[in-house]
Amino acid sequence: MKNLAAKLPPMGTLGPFIALLVACAFFASQSDRFLTLQNFSLILQQVMVVGTIAIGQTLIILTAGIDLSCGMIMALGSIVMTKMAADFGLSAPVAITLGIAATAGFGLVNGLLVTKAKLPPFIVTLGTLNIAFAITQLYSGSQTVTDVSEGMTWLGNSFRIGQTNVLYGVVLMLALYLITWLFLRETAPGRHIYAVGNSPEATRLTGISTDKVLIGVYVLAGVFYGIASLLSVARIGAGDPNAGQTENLDAITAVVLGGTSLFGGRGIIIGTLIGALIVGVFRNGLTLMGVSSVYQILVTGILVILAVMTDQMSRKGVR
Amino acid sequence: MTTAPNAQSPLVIQAKGLVKRYGQVTALDGADFELRAGEIMAVIGDNGAGKSSLIKCLAGATIPDEGEIFLDGQAAQFRSPIDARRAGIETVYQDLAVAPAMTIAENLFLGRELLRPGFMGKVLRMMDKRKMLEESISRMNDLKVGIRSMTQAVETLSGGQRQCVAVARAAAFAQHVVIMDEPTAALGVKEGNMVLELIRRVRDKGLPVILISHNMPHVFEIADRIHIARLGKRAAIVDPKNISMSDTVAVMTGAKSVNDLPPQALAH
Repeated sequence: MKNLAAKLPPMGTLGPFIALLVACAFFASQSDRFLTLQNFSLILQQVMVVGTIAIGQTLIILTAGIDLSCGMIMALGSIVMTKMAADFGLSAPVAITLGIAATAGFGLVNGLLVTKAKLPPFIVTLGTLNIAFAITQLYSGSQTVTDVSEGMTWLGNSFRIGQTNVLYGVVLMLALYLITWLFLRETAPGRHIYAVGNSPEATRLTGISTDKVLIGVYVLAGVFYGIASLLSVARIGAGDPNAGQTENLDAITAVVLGGTSLFGGRGIIIGTLIGALIVGVFRNGLTLMGVSSVYQILVTGILVILAVMTDQMSRKGVR
Repeated sequence: MTTAPNAQSPLVIQAKGLVKRYGQVTALDGADFELRAGEIMAVIGDNGAGKSSLIKCLAGATIPDEGEIFLDGQAAQFRSPIDARRAGIETVYQDLAVAPAMTIAENLFLGRELLRPGFMGKVLRMMDKRKMLEESISRMNDLKVGIRSMTQAVETLSGGQRQCVAVARAAAFAQHVVIMDEPTAALGVKEGNMVLELIRRVRDKGLPVILISHNMPHVFEIADRIHIARLGKRAAIVDPKNISMSDTVAVMTGAKSVNDLPPQALAH
């Protein structure tokens, strides 16, 4: 019995899966429209943007940081790419590259402030949250950019597997999770991200430049936000200056629900995908049950606190 | 390999006239140091005697204002701990040395991961996990560290075992010297002995060790020679086999002058 318990993955890894299964079972019992392939395809579409942002957020939280600006940077990226194309007639690939450069640039600013100015990530990203929001509103004149070419929205198209529609954007998100999983697990830079979150002092003493790791992580997170910008444009078919407001905290919720420790150094990226799905399943299931969206927010809040409590308790068990 | 080092053993590290000032405070005031091949040299001294500044100079963590350091007879200048490490000097720190949630194998190779050959390793920076695991097992076996699984997280180990991982890592990568800064300070009696035993095995494998410690019984148990730091200088090098612990402490605190010691107490 003891051997069996030792062979199972730790609760932090298994917990999110169990929570997702329980949530699915519950909603399946409440609504017969829940447990259909078409509905699951819809849930995946709904989590595509927040799921991609959450990859970047996971990398940052693994270093014991946090990024409160993720959703706003994403919105900025979608405005930059759509306006660049609309105002200057740039081709989609060029405009998309500029949009991702803008989000990566914001990541660089976050990273430099955290490492070189030695400010806490919470405060830095609280600042850039507001800065990114203001720039987005000023640059767009608070107007939605609707003149969007096909080259920027094709990820919102779908193909069919049997009776089910699958979005190209969903496939892209899943591929990004797979790549990040391999990166964190199999490469030296990936392990250094865990090491920095685990013990920055020990990492520095082994000769790894912790500043380089951290700046790299914030820039890489910015790139993921930029890809999320593109997915957002593809999904709504426009550049929306007010995008990213729910995604901002939902991304952090997904990471925490997925079992990544807010104290850094522990967690797996696939957990974040499960966490994003849990948020998506609750939103979708409660909507099918006809529950008002205010209760959905209430439930998400309770879930986050439960997840952080589990994290806290499992750490005490180890010490 | 276990023949005791003697005055004919070559000097691995030598420092001459090191001076280090921090503003008004003179931490090192012309300190000398030497380490012979195959020995454990303990460094003791009161707080403020300059022992940690001395060690920092040798480990590359501080740059001395004056004085010279020689490695195998060649003048050496360390601008950073990484320089010192490239020259084959590894340092074990008191308790900051390991990343707790990572495995033993990962900790052993942290920052020096073995990469796969070709494109996978050079461009994608993918690790050769199997080789890292095999190397970890063989290196830990070499030093007879009795830990079974290299894939368990370091936080599942006791304090002494964690320190053994840190010592084993230093020993595995050091070409010349291992410096240990208070490696037994945070440990209980049994765990402390386990680490001492490991330090002895590192020496017996041919790596000279510099051991900084406040723990006199530990120092007397394993040191071949003892460097006594006092007032930013080297007060004496004594032979633990021919001097009492109380005389050693007396020299360290200045209660006794070196001239009061019998000649055989001094090591050469």
